[in-house]
Amino acid sequence: MNNPIIRRELVGVLRNWRTAAAEIIFTMTLIGVVLLRWPTNAQVSLSGRQAQEMLRLFGYAFMTAMILIVPAFSAVSMVREKRAGTLALILNTPLSPWSIFSGKVAAISGVIALLMGLSVPAAAACYAMGGVSLRGQIGPLYLLLALASLEYTVVGLYISTRSNRIDAALRSTYATVFALVTLAVIPQEFAQGRMTGLPAEVCQWLAAFSPLPAILQVFGQSGVTHAGNMSAGSAVFRYVVVSIVVILWGTRATLQRLNSGLFDRPRSAGTITDESSGGVQAYRRVMYLWFFDPQRRSRLIGPLTNPVMVKEFRTSRFGRSHWMMRMIGACLIVSLALMLAAARGSEVVNTRTMGAILVILQSALIIIMTPGLAGGLIAGEIESGSWQLLRMTPLSARSIVLGKLLSVGRTLLLLLLATLPGYAVMLVIDPNEKTQVVEALVSLVIMAVFALLASAAISSFSRRAATATATAYGFLAVLCAGTLLAWLGRGSLFGFTLVDWILRLNPVAATLSAIHAPGFGHYGLIPRTWWIMACGCGLAVVALVLRTWRLTRPQ
Amino acid sequence: MNGEYVVQTENLTKKYGEFTALDGLTIQLEKGKILGFIGPNGAGKTTTIKILVGMALPTAGWAKISGIDCSTRSREIKKLVGFMPDTFGGYDNMRVHEYLDFFGAAFAIPRAKRQKRVDEALETTGATSMRDLFVESLSHGMKQRVAIARTLLHEPPVLILDEPANGLDPTARVEMRHILLNLAAMGKTLIVTSHILPELARICNMVAIITGGKLRAFGTLDQIMHDVREKRMIEVQLATREDVAKAAATLTAMLGPQAQVQESQAEGMVRFTTTQSDAALARMLVALVDAKIAVAQFRDVPQNLEDAFLSVTQAAQTPGKADGEKITAGGGRA
Repeated sequence: MNNPIIRRELVGVLRNWRTAAAEIIFTMTLIGVVLLRWPTNAQVSLSGRQAQEMLRLFGYAFMTAMILIVPAFSAVSMVREKRAGTLALILNTPLSPWSIFSGKVAAISGVIALLMGLSVPAAAACYAMGGVSLRGQIGPLYLLLALASLEYTVVGLYISTRSNRIDAALRSTYATVFALVTLAVIPQEFAQGRMTGLPAEVCQWLAAFSPLPAILQVFGQSGVTHAGNMSAGSAVFRYVVVSIVVILWGTRATLQRLNSGLFDRPRSAGTITDESSGGVQAYRRVMYLWFFDPQRRSRLIGPLTNPVMVKEFRTSRFGRSHWMMRMIGACLIVSLALMLAAARGSEVVNTRTMGAILVILQSALIIIMTPGLAGGLIAGEIESGSWQLLRMTPLSARSIVLGKLLSVGRTLLLLLLATLPGYAVMLVIDPNEKTQVVEALVSLVIMAVFALLASAAISSFSRRAATATATAYGFLAVLCAGTLLAWLGRGSLFGFTLVDWILRLNPVAATLSAIHAPGFGHYGLIPRTWWIMACGCGLAVVALVLRTWRLTRPQ
Repeated sequence: MNGEYVVQTENLTKKYGEFTALDGLTIQLEKGKILGFIGPNGAGKTTTIKILVGMALPTAGWAKISGIDCSTRSREIKKLVGFMPDTFGGYDNMRVHEYLDFFGAAFAIPRAKRQKRVDEALETTGATSMRDLFVESLSHGMKQRVAIARTLLHEPPVLILDEPANGLDPTARVEMRHILLNLAAMGKTLIVTSHILPELARICNMVAIITGGKLRAFGTLDQIMHDVREKRMIEVQLATREDVAKAAATLTAMLGPQAQVQESQAEGMVRFTTTQSDAALARMLVALVDAKIAVAQFRDVPQNLEDAFLSVTQAAQTPGKADGEKITAGGGRA
């Protein structure tokens, strides 16, 4: 506690009611997961199968919770101080960059340790059932999750030092963590049985960026990542090595940025292409195809255009056309590459598998992008003080809300459209998939609309963009990833009917079900999930309209 | 009366539960005037402003701008008022001309006229050179200029500016003063809050001092200065230092034994504070002359708005004076 940063950060975090709420929800979730499958007939399987299954469910829930909670603390830590001006004050004290960094890491680790402590009763319940090894399973699980949390803390802090906006820091950190946890294992999924030697080795090391193979190995499971095929200890060993490397790299990179150079940058010169030399203008017109040049002087807002929508485009990074085109281009390339791989693939990798991967990638994009774009729609305005300026204009609450929703809606629509060629190729390869593709696309659109409306509604209830954005991420992650825990325990812990019922709340599961993705084809989620999502959208709209109306009327 | 006054409030009261934020505020402001609205933190200035711009509803009383009720016709009020809050309310990743274009469009200024309005507003506030800069990269002084330009876009007759000079360096403060005076010369009516009272004193025609939700003084600057002074400090500059003791004795005899009369042999001066009228002061001067004392100067030490403000706020804190007593535009205490 000699480091004042630790004391300030830890006390600040622990005093916050949101931390208390997160702790309560976390504890109740883990205890709920255990209680849900606790034997009620006073009989326990002597083989320990039931305890093993419960431990796995507990482990996945634990991991999901940590992945959701840790970035929320680390991503905002530096950028909030930067915006408030306190980081400059701290850097002006005799505290070294290492003291600042280690203080923040220690404070966040303190919260993580607290959460881990709160999970002990649930873990003890699993152990009490018998058949679960303390040293071989529970201990390593805690160590792996502690390592993963530390890794995401360091990564979050690094991203936070690079960001200038809280919502951007949250979005980037969640996207990075998502990529590290799930996308990293995809190459290995392809490599299984198809690659040998160095390429296979590279894919395995790439998969080691994710804690999933290591945790699966601790649980003695194969499956998603075929961890069971690896030599004993390799997945855990690889993960420990890779995460330590990431932690060291992240620490070094963050420390390098933690100096006065962080603020030693000139104000923007406000360069405009229109006023540059002829050569520069010609060069930029070619490079940016003129229309997408971010330095082009923008035109006045049109007479029939919602000014709030245009304002949102201009203030959001992904609203600026050159960034949008970059992302759409990336989506287009990935979707076509996946379908190309399917067209050339063997029986193992068919169009249905590729379609499932495409759906997962699109869903991930929607879940990662939408809260980041919509979470600050109202809260960001209130936080920056610009809400009262909007209130002073003749714009109605309806115009303001509509403009904001349309701005994010357009971005999401373009993202969805960018992957359409992938589905088109899929239909060319297998025309019989038309119904599935249409249902999947409808599900994706409904998911995007729901994510947008829910995030915006959450935003209207908060006065801080970071809180709103993190809450929106948490809500969507619980809905889309949390409910998948029931799917993971299908057949053993949970019966078909219960899983089917739970998955109806999950728009990603509905989309995977529509495309008949492996493991989801048996569930009849469509159109039930559509109706549930439609009701959710309706509720979100009512909440958003009422709340915005309340915020715009005189006090 | 509504035709003469652009801004009017009558018995304006705002309560939040048991707490009275504003208590019976009555003011009137004519076209082209600049009202300095001053008071300590939490005095009720922001509450008044919120009611005037239609963001808050009064518990009792009314407020009108150009004859339009601020509570019932807040949509029309928005077109009549240019409001600059104490926070800038900027957007990241947006250039100044885009920022102003957005607010111009929000105020439904036709596209054909908007560019001209943006250019004019930038020119009026001396911010033309900032049009291509990003809003978040502006210095505080630049932001204040852009904020005023924003309030001018829809050509409102009334501008309400909350702390426009706050945080500005001396040069920027002088430039801000010129901008505000120019706006008044253009026929705009301004309500300006500020804690920098000397600066405010240089631009305001009218002053309203508010403490604890109550209006303590309201009138022209001269009226406030004249009426607010309970104790005036008078300096008597003598031609010879030998007369200092004699002059002090004469004045003490007239003022009474409780009077604080200070002698300064080095300066050849006698100072005293008094609450007596101008006529009584004239009698004192005659008495000094009759006593064969050579008086070089007999002067009222000038006070500034800060003195007046302190006098009013201190009087408001004095038991027995906290309620009811107010200096009005007509002069004297009500």
